[in-house]
Amino acid sequence: MSTSSETLKPARSAVELEGITKRFPGVVANHDVRITVEPGTVHAIVGENGAGKSTLMKILYGMQRPDEGRIRVNGEEVVFRTPGDAIRAGIGMVHQHFMLADNLTVLENVVLGAEPKKAGRLDLATARARLAELAEAHGLRVDPDRLVEDLGVGDRQRVEILKVLYRGARILILDEPTAVLVPQEVQELFANLRELKAGGLTVIFISHKLDEVLHIADAITVIRRGTTVASVLPGDVTARRLAELMVGSELPTPQTRESTVTDRVVLGLHGVTVTGGDRTVLSEVTFPVRAGEVVGVAGVEGNGQTELIAAIMGLRPLAAGRITLAEEDVSTWSTRRRREAGIAYVPEDRHREGLLLEAPLWENRVLGHQTRPPARRGPWIDRAASRKDTERIVAEYDVRTPSVDTLALALSGGNQQKLIVGREMSGDPKVLIAAHPTRGVDVGAQSAIWGHLRDARAAGLAVLLVSADLDELIGLSDTLYVIYRGRFVADLDPSQVTPEQLGGYMTGAIAKDQP
Amino acid sequence: MLRKRFGRLAVTTLAGAMLMAVTACGGGGDTGATSASPGASDAGAGSGLKVGLAFDVGGRGDKSFNDSAYAGLERAKTELGADIRELSPAGDGSNRGAMLQQLADAGYNPIIAVGFAYEPELKTVAAEYPDVQFAIVDAGSVGPNVTGLTFAEQQGSYLAGVAAAAKTKTNHIGFVGGPESKLIQKFEAGYVAGAKATKPDIKIDISYLGADGDFAAFKAPDKGKIAAEKMYQAGADIVYHASGDSGQGVFQAAAAAGADKWAIGVDSDQAQTVKEPELQKIILTSMLKRVDNGVFEFIKANKGGAKGGQTVAYDLKVDGVGLSTTGDHLSDVQAQIDEAKQKIISGEITVPETP
Amino acid sequence: MRSAALQRAALTLAGAVVAVLLAFVVSSAAIVIAGGSPVTALQAMFDFGETTVAVVNAVTQMLNRATPLFIAGLAVAIGFRMNLFNIGVEGQYRIAAIVAAFVGGQLALPAPIHLTVIILVAMVTGGLYALVPAMLKVYRGVNEVISTIMLNFIALSMAAYLVRGPFAGGQEEGLTTSTPPLPPSGQFPNANFLFQMFGLPAPRGTGLWGFLLVAVLVGVVIWVLLERTRFGFEIRASGLNGPAALASGVNPRQMVISAMVLSGAVAGLIGLPEILGRTYSYGTGFTPQLGFLGIAVALLGRNKPLGIALAALLFAFLDRAATPLQFADIPPSVVSIIQGAIVLMVVIAGEVTRRIALRQEERRAAAGAAAPAPAGVNA
Repeated sequence: MSTSSETLKPARSAVELEGITKRFPGVVANHDVRITVEPGTVHAIVGENGAGKSTLMKILYGMQRPDEGRIRVNGEEVVFRTPGDAIRAGIGMVHQHFMLADNLTVLENVVLGAEPKKAGRLDLATARARLAELAEAHGLRVDPDRLVEDLGVGDRQRVEILKVLYRGARILILDEPTAVLVPQEVQELFANLRELKAGGLTVIFISHKLDEVLHIADAITVIRRGTTVASVLPGDVTARRLAELMVGSELPTPQTRESTVTDRVVLGLHGVTVTGGDRTVLSEVTFPVRAGEVVGVAGVEGNGQTELIAAIMGLRPLAAGRITLAEEDVSTWSTRRRREAGIAYVPEDRHREGLLLEAPLWENRVLGHQTRPPARRGPWIDRAASRKDTERIVAEYDVRTPSVDTLALALSGGNQQKLIVGREMSGDPKVLIAAHPTRGVDVGAQSAIWGHLRDARAAGLAVLLVSADLDELIGLSDTLYVIYRGRFVADLDPSQVTPEQLGGYMTGAIAKDQP
Repeated sequence: MLRKRFGRLAVTTLAGAMLMAVTACGGGGDTGATSASPGASDAGAGSGLKVGLAFDVGGRGDKSFNDSAYAGLERAKTELGADIRELSPAGDGSNRGAMLQQLADAGYNPIIAVGFAYEPELKTVAAEYPDVQFAIVDAGSVGPNVTGLTFAEQQGSYLAGVAAAAKTKTNHIGFVGGPESKLIQKFEAGYVAGAKATKPDIKIDISYLGADGDFAAFKAPDKGKIAAEKMYQAGADIVYHASGDSGQGVFQAAAAAGADKWAIGVDSDQAQTVKEPELQKIILTSMLKRVDNGVFEFIKANKGGAKGGQTVAYDLKVDGVGLSTTGDHLSDVQAQIDEAKQKIISGEITVPETP
Repeated sequence: MRSAALQRAALTLAGAVVAVLLAFVVSSAAIVIAGGSPVTALQAMFDFGETTVAVVNAVTQMLNRATPLFIAGLAVAIGFRMNLFNIGVEGQYRIAAIVAAFVGGQLALPAPIHLTVIILVAMVTGGLYALVPAMLKVYRGVNEVISTIMLNFIALSMAAYLVRGPFAGGQEEGLTTSTPPLPPSGQFPNANFLFQMFGLPAPRGTGLWGFLLVAVLVGVVIWVLLERTRFGFEIRASGLNGPAALASGVNPRQMVISAMVLSGAVAGLIGLPEILGRTYSYGTGFTPQLGFLGIAVALLGRNKPLGIALAALLFAFLDRAATPLQFADIPPSVVSIIQGAIVLMVVIAGEVTRRIALRQEERRAAAGAAAPAPAGVNA
């Protein structure tokens, strides 16, 4: 790895992270992270989703405390217990999701929580002067008296930046700031960032959009699997090289196995388009899933995967196109009817869509199967049969629990997920939609779930696997698509694919049909 | 809802424990081991006359209707040596009948029910206890052992209307009623008739604080205040209220509205029953409804052996209603008021009971 | 598992005992401040009378109060189960009560049919009145809290208008008005035989309202519906986790409408114990506020029919105690403080024990998962 910044370490870096390690139960989120940010620069931190960027930023902003390692700000070692400590040290955070009160004006939002007081009364005049001064100095144009609800996304972002500056920040963390912006707004943001830099401020820019990073950053640090793998200068690398660094130099080799893919199409998508607001979030997606086939969908999160799954499950209406299940058009079917017809679903967020946390395991077994045996008997829920079948799942899928009457929330993430997989495999499904089936679970549960998916595939199940875990995608898929900005941009052979290709397609560094 | 599984047991056991305790106590009482009920224990100290009184919603302390009834009860205590017991109902009035029964069970006789809302309940309870004498304020007799005590509110209100019309400088007055019931409409009807008879072109704002049956409107000073504030802002300078405890809000609104704004109290002489001096000052007069007299006279007659079955009407003729003179704000228009009073008594004027 | 259940029960029992003790401490403080004696007050609360007849009367009074509270709690709980805040029970039961009383007063039918018709009319009216906020929520996204509160005002005023106008019946004397009285065939027979079964004397007056038995039946039906059927499962799933219920195939619109209408239909029954058992008409003195009390009863009973029954009994017990406490020279306002303190403490204790129990459960599950993983899961 090129480590060019190491050679020129001045006495007072703006931020210096040294050996930061953060463990969560069963997971190491950050491991020996080392980053040096020079003052008056835009420093980009790039990495895949789940690489550990957000944990790292939470540590730097005082929202979480590292288990090991040191943080130095302007050369002095600091310990942050709360974001307040970080703010006092001159660090400000602009969140990806804006934290503004819609029904207040720009000025009110900026002073909210740091209200200037004169003799115990709110002193808006001083605040207004200060805001005008800051806006002037950094070229951040906003009308202080407009309601935030009337502002566009770009303006709101400027308000967030002003809010941080108002609190005296000299070091700004921007978490995926361009994710919500249209191209012109991105250009405006970059112009603002250059102004800030010229004003002597330091910007930490978190992103996975490589072209933008190369465009704006003065230095780039790459994070993979919770640790820093490279620090490079934008002039020294290409987008492809950066993608490769992000994804890793070696991709896992697929398990040698016999293909079980048949030519019987179970699930078919034909030109499926989904819109959200006035945006097209999924655009003319067409692909088949055959019996005995695992179709993997790779992509950086937020590129249409959620909408793809919601469309298949009937949770979002189609703007165009149709979905077939065993050659029958199911586009207008309700979620219930689709499930009854044999579509099983492992949701990406098990707490949100997969479980009734405060209900016992056997009731969770019923969820999604309440219209089918063994859970149902006439208008009744068959409690005895449900319990018995839950016991079967607990045994077959190795769910570690004291009993089937235990509440779901008492189980670890891995055991919860095994229960969900077991449930969805019940009742002879024809097709399984699995979204991030092993996210946040420990290694043991992960390999167990992979084993179950392989067995189901061998038994003729059609599987659509959406994941951010490349091991998972390459290890399980028979066919691998890459989704980027709501479109399928590549159809790859998992046994042939190179990290460069995959990273390139996922980040948009390689355009469609350019192998 | 985070209370799935364990709550049931908690409440089960709690209520179980309470019920067991209840049974134990009830059983204990059954064997006669405990002493007499607390209410009855201090009986017999006086004349042996035990008078029970059940308030209407609003209860004691409304400085108006209920307190007027209580004044009559207290007078019976001092003048007749009666042993007295007064009860307030639950906020929703759901235990009106039960209170009458409990008073009768505890040996109180006679028993006075304050408020027309007792009428249906009293009909049943009086039949259950034929040996007990009852009285009901604001309603006619509903049984051979029930004395009705009614008041000609419309006549007293007529005088209030005359006073308000004679005193107003803006030619604009107001009326705030409790629930829009037939009873309160009697107040409104008399007030409007009196005012119009004095000044035909007078402007009168009418506002009720609740629908019929909404007894909470007697206990809502906040609502009273808002209603009266609106009238004062619109130019009214005198507001008459017939809203029990809610009248406190009317007085507050009058005090806050500035100089030359007045309020007219109801039932009791409110310039005396209201404690705050700044509120006393703005009370022009009060339409007296001598519930105290009615209650006392009933107790006294009962002690003398009178039986129920008829309705006693308290009107202007017997000074059952009238205007108070505390503060002496009405001396300049007293002649007008007296003239109206005479005309009503003589029958020359018949005051309407409905608006 | 069995031992775990036992442990949970012991914990909740301890919590309940502590709650009652704390409530009495708080109440005693209030009584002492008001110049009374806590001991006398306690005696008064549990004083059900000296003779068997007095005790029977007191118990009857309590049960007659508990019956509408129980139904009100059930009506509210059906909505609460799926996080639907039907604040409109108040309006639904009043409108249902007056319509049912009026219709009942117009008919002459054999008793069982007459009563069935009245009950059905009440349920349909309550259900229809609840359908309005349900439709507004489903098709226009109007928050049901707002719409039901507004509809309460409309219902109250409408009932007040109807009872004096189109639905007024019979005597015009006096200051109270009511709908035409129900003929004897529309009056629910009392349930005094329950006392007589135990060799106890019958209570006086209108006695123990027979509608108590209907309420118990409704409670059982609602329990079966919520706890044992698919519909109940979907209601609970929607309440516990809306997105998960959606993903499991539950149609949220359909659930909102059916839960709201069911809640309103049950709410329609709240006024019937009084109308069919004592007043035989809807009058200006009709007991108000039961819908709002139902919210407290449902919360205290944790939205479970059995818990609601016990909460209703507790409320009725406290309400009945209001008069004996006044006999004991405890001011009526202190009675309200005692009632509030007991309810508050029970709710707090319930929440605390629930959390402790959850933590214990997590610990047990963690201990269970710590067993060594079976080898060779990895394919």
